[in-house]
Amino acid sequence: MSMMDNLAAGFGLVANFQAILSLLIGVVIGTIGGAVPGISVTMSVALALPFTFAMAPINGILLLLGVYKGGVFGGSIPAILIKTPGTPASSATVLDGYPMAEKGEAGRALGMALWASCTADMISNLSLILFAGFLASFALSFRPPEFFTLILFSLTIISGVSGKSMLRGALSAVLGLMLATVGLDLIYGTNRFTFGNPNLMGGLNFIAVLIGLFAIPEIMAVIWSPGDEHGRARGLGANRVSLADYRRCFKAILRGSTIGVILGSIPGIGAAPSAFLSYSEARRKSPHRENFGKGEIEGVAAAEAGNNGVAGATLIPLLSLGIPGDVITAIIIGAFMIHGLQPGPLMFVTNADLIYGLFIGLILSSVFLFVVGSAAIRVFKYVADIPRSILFPGVLVLCVYGVFAVNNTIFDIGVMFAMGAVGFLMLRNDIPAAPFLIAYILGPLLEDNFRQAMLMSGGSPWILFSTPITWIFWALTLFSIVAIIRAAMTSNRQEQGSMGF
Amino acid sequence: MQNLHRQLLIGLVAVAMGAFLALVAIPNWVSAPDKVPHIVLSPLFWPYTIAGLLVLSGVGLVLSGRYSDEIFNADETRIPGAMKRILIFAAIAIAYVRLIPLMGMVWASILAFGATVSLLRPGHPRLAIICAVLFPLILYVFFAHIAGVAVPQGKFVRLP
Repeated sequence: MSMMDNLAAGFGLVANFQAILSLLIGVVIGTIGGAVPGISVTMSVALALPFTFAMAPINGILLLLGVYKGGVFGGSIPAILIKTPGTPASSATVLDGYPMAEKGEAGRALGMALWASCTADMISNLSLILFAGFLASFALSFRPPEFFTLILFSLTIISGVSGKSMLRGALSAVLGLMLATVGLDLIYGTNRFTFGNPNLMGGLNFIAVLIGLFAIPEIMAVIWSPGDEHGRARGLGANRVSLADYRRCFKAILRGSTIGVILGSIPGIGAAPSAFLSYSEARRKSPHRENFGKGEIEGVAAAEAGNNGVAGATLIPLLSLGIPGDVITAIIIGAFMIHGLQPGPLMFVTNADLIYGLFIGLILSSVFLFVVGSAAIRVFKYVADIPRSILFPGVLVLCVYGVFAVNNTIFDIGVMFAMGAVGFLMLRNDIPAAPFLIAYILGPLLEDNFRQAMLMSGGSPWILFSTPITWIFWALTLFSIVAIIRAAMTSNRQEQGSMGF
Repeated sequence: MQNLHRQLLIGLVAVAMGAFLALVAIPNWVSAPDKVPHIVLSPLFWPYTIAGLLVLSGVGLVLSGRYSDEIFNADETRIPGAMKRILIFAAIAIAYVRLIPLMGMVWASILAFGATVSLLRPGHPRLAIICAVLFPLILYVFFAHIAGVAVPQGKFVRLP
């Protein structure tokens, strides 16, 4: 099929009431989720996932993408109004957003956050459309050795940059790989850690592991330190963002979007570093750099462009290579899997209509984000007032219903709570959960490709170094390890220096 | 010293887990065919590799922990009664799972919601009670009647 045929087929999938409504509902849920302090984008997407089981694949995935997009912007609302970032990615928005709110310019700051978010989101979506197909056509020539080295590289970089310590990230990834071995062996069908329990033969339910790792620890963290209080929400003020403001910040928005697209397409980096890098670049290049940190609108624009620029780009490795770049795309890969779809280069051949439908939906999501975001700014006060003591028990019940709905088994609820305990222990010990989940998803793929490569070579490991593509991935893996270790050593030295050693 | 301890402890736990995996768990709970053409294709190879990686990362953590002065999140604040509340929540979770087949998802959820709310010291107890009853019911309506999930009904009271 030609690109035009694919576009037409994709349009056919999206141009219906259910698909558009799913996307809109997703953006609304995401914006609310992102705006409620304590409910992360990850948790919002994870909790929305069970509601998509009964939907058509395109509608379910669009809903989740809507939640993702809405959530990334929603986090900026409490960041500006109550100095509490709704998501980690919005931390950079606080730096200038809250000082603007203190000066009575919250409405202007939020307006700029929305405009910058929508612009960056659109640029990110266009980058996805431009690059994903190209990368997928390149990846079609990959064989098991190339896939093995690619997954190894992705896991290395995700482990290295997800938390404060590469070693703890690596430990987390290894634990995820270990958990992924539970179930029947991929080639021989023999039991691995099933303990004779038929519930374990297909491995642990991905949704139970995911919700256990990302939602239950948040509930436990609130139980650890209860309380409903948060800062007083500032009024929006009389000033609103103007076209002149937008024009003045346009360079910073473009720069931030580009940073977001580049960092977003590298597995593991995510939105927060992108927002901070975009912010610091804007400050470095701005003629008003002395105002940064005191309520400079360009700072808000740069931070929001940086974090929203990531949203579409993280889907590049997901759709074209089948590699989730962060936890949210890992959850979205789960939605694909539930509907019997496997993202990756082959999907551009077998399900091109779905891919192009998603592209069209993503472009639409930027428009919805603008409409929903404008309304959310006005009604935030009511969302922020939901007491945590009622919100989180509700999240608990939602988790239980959602996890049960996957396989109609109470065993999965037990798995969710067990993973919740593991996730809480990891949270308390600063061990990042993202490498765990991504390794859990990629573990079977890694092992499968390794064993297929070994079957091809008759057991010789040299096949893993047999082509230029494998050399490139090995080199990138080594380079990332060295770069991460060097960065950690530099940061340690700087910390020691600042402590007066 | 406390921080050093934490990093070392994580490393030691990782080494212990790797050793347990290699010496106890894999030999006992991973089965493999008698004849495998190449050792790398055996169902045992991958778990043993992971056990090795676990030990390696543990050793790395122990070694780096000796020289680390990193401050962990958990060390920053001590909150009174936190551990007790977590243990109570663990008991609530266990009871929740046990009660679902007995009382049904909705009633067990109402109780679990109420018990969790009481742990969080709500500022609005009446609103909490209303939410505890309504929220599981709304979810029941969605999952049972819209999504078509066979939500457990329990042995005592059945919902339409």
